[in-house]
Amino acid sequence: MKKIKLTVNKKEYMLEIKEDTRLIDLLRDVLGFTGVKEGCGEGECGACTVIMDGDIVNSCLVLAFQADGKEIITIEGVESEEEIHPIQQAFLDVGAVQCGFCTPGMILSAKALLDKNPSPTREEIRAAISGNLCRCTGYNKIVDAIERAALYLKRGK
Amino acid sequence: MKKRGIGIGSIFYGTGYGNGFPDVSKAVAQLKSDGKIAIYVGATEVGQGAKTALSQIAAEVLGLSVDDIVFINEDTSITPDSGTAAASRQTYNTGNAIKLACEKLKRDILEVAKDYLGLNSIVGLTLKNGYVYPKTLPEKRVSLGEISESLESSLKEEAVFTAQTTEMDEETGQGAPYWPYTFSACGVEVEVDTETGRVEIIRAVLAQDVGRAINPELIEGQIDGGFAMGAGYALYEDLKIEKGKIKNNSFTNYLIPTSLDMPDIEKVIIEDPESTAPYGAKGIGEPVMIPVAPAILNAIYDAVGVRMTEIPVTPEKLLKAIKEKEMTYNEGKN
Repeated sequence: MKKIKLTVNKKEYMLEIKEDTRLIDLLRDVLGFTGVKEGCGEGECGACTVIMDGDIVNSCLVLAFQADGKEIITIEGVESEEEIHPIQQAFLDVGAVQCGFCTPGMILSAKALLDKNPSPTREEIRAAISGNLCRCTGYNKIVDAIERAALYLKRGK
Repeated sequence: MKKRGIGIGSIFYGTGYGNGFPDVSKAVAQLKSDGKIAIYVGATEVGQGAKTALSQIAAEVLGLSVDDIVFINEDTSITPDSGTAAASRQTYNTGNAIKLACEKLKRDILEVAKDYLGLNSIVGLTLKNGYVYPKTLPEKRVSLGEISESLESSLKEEAVFTAQTTEMDEETGQGAPYWPYTFSACGVEVEVDTETGRVEIIRAVLAQDVGRAINPELIEGQIDGGFAMGAGYALYEDLKIEKGKIKNNSFTNYLIPTSLDMPDIEKVIIEDPESTAPYGAKGIGEPVMIPVAPAILNAIYDAVGVRMTEIPVTPEKLLKAIKEKEMTYNEGKN
């Protein structure tokens, strides 16, 4: 067992974990953040994407102890108390969600992009979500939504 | 060298089970105590938007907003059989069943409203925004909630829609195996790298006959998604099955398109209402995908002059075909 301290969605946790626990299992099974989805479990599909210290990671490929001292954001930590995040609003407004399984990962990849680059081109958006597979939407409405989210975020400031 | 070419593909497709197989959808519509309408159907939502489009059909019949429809599906203990979410059939088949059930329920509501308001007939009664009133005297009205409260048991109607198809004649192959048919066409421009065999889709247009667009945004989403599946089918996806087992059962060796493989698509929705369909709407889930692979293979032919007859057209296969063509050409010159 190993003791770790990490922040998830702005809340600090002190936990004792097994050395071989994956970050995704810690987030889902121990802390209850089931918005983190397990797709392939081998880092190909991006459904389990979370933001760790500002960068996206596949939480199925990160061991929980590697998150010691880090700050994690899952889809549950994206909205504020009053309202959903502008990226989530844009996904709704554009119709970028079909079955929804890839959506949490897509939104977190979009957030990590827009936090660093508030005015991305469509090509930059495509590159930013290229690690997130989607079988329903053909990606185009997701790209539209992230473009629109960039506008919402600018307008909000 | 990079060479560009354009190609088109067009298709027609019969939706529903077809070939005389009984294609039946059932739906139940019920007036709830709060004046909202519950729709019960065994129609599965898998992301295609059935819940939204089918709720819109119910709302349209009853003059309500979609928010006033309580759509209950996927719970087989309380819903009737509406068939599978397959064969691009839910909008047409279950949509028709919902429309029929709601029309029956509407008539029941008007009959109760007639008595409630002390009128002679349901002729000219309007049901709109949750109220029933005579067209000629809108002040004299009763709400759906008041109607529901005045009744001992709630109003409830079931309807069944059975599609019309016949078996094909085994000898001649003639018959009317599907109804309705839908039509689509796709055009793409590709860029082929003749040194690597890699095909990139530069731009695309896809036009789909939808009968009537119940929800254009959902249709656009289906077109994008269908194009991506068609592109994967044409260029990447190769299921390797040995002795009944899938050998490449991971995304590492079974490739599907990523966001970088997709072009922006010019989407054209063609409305030509189908007379037997709910408000003219036909299913488009599968049709949007079908013309994509032929369009891509035609574009490859236009770009490099080789006719690929096996999919997926992987870089290895295309490179081999290009080399073979060059060799044949050079032999011809000597």
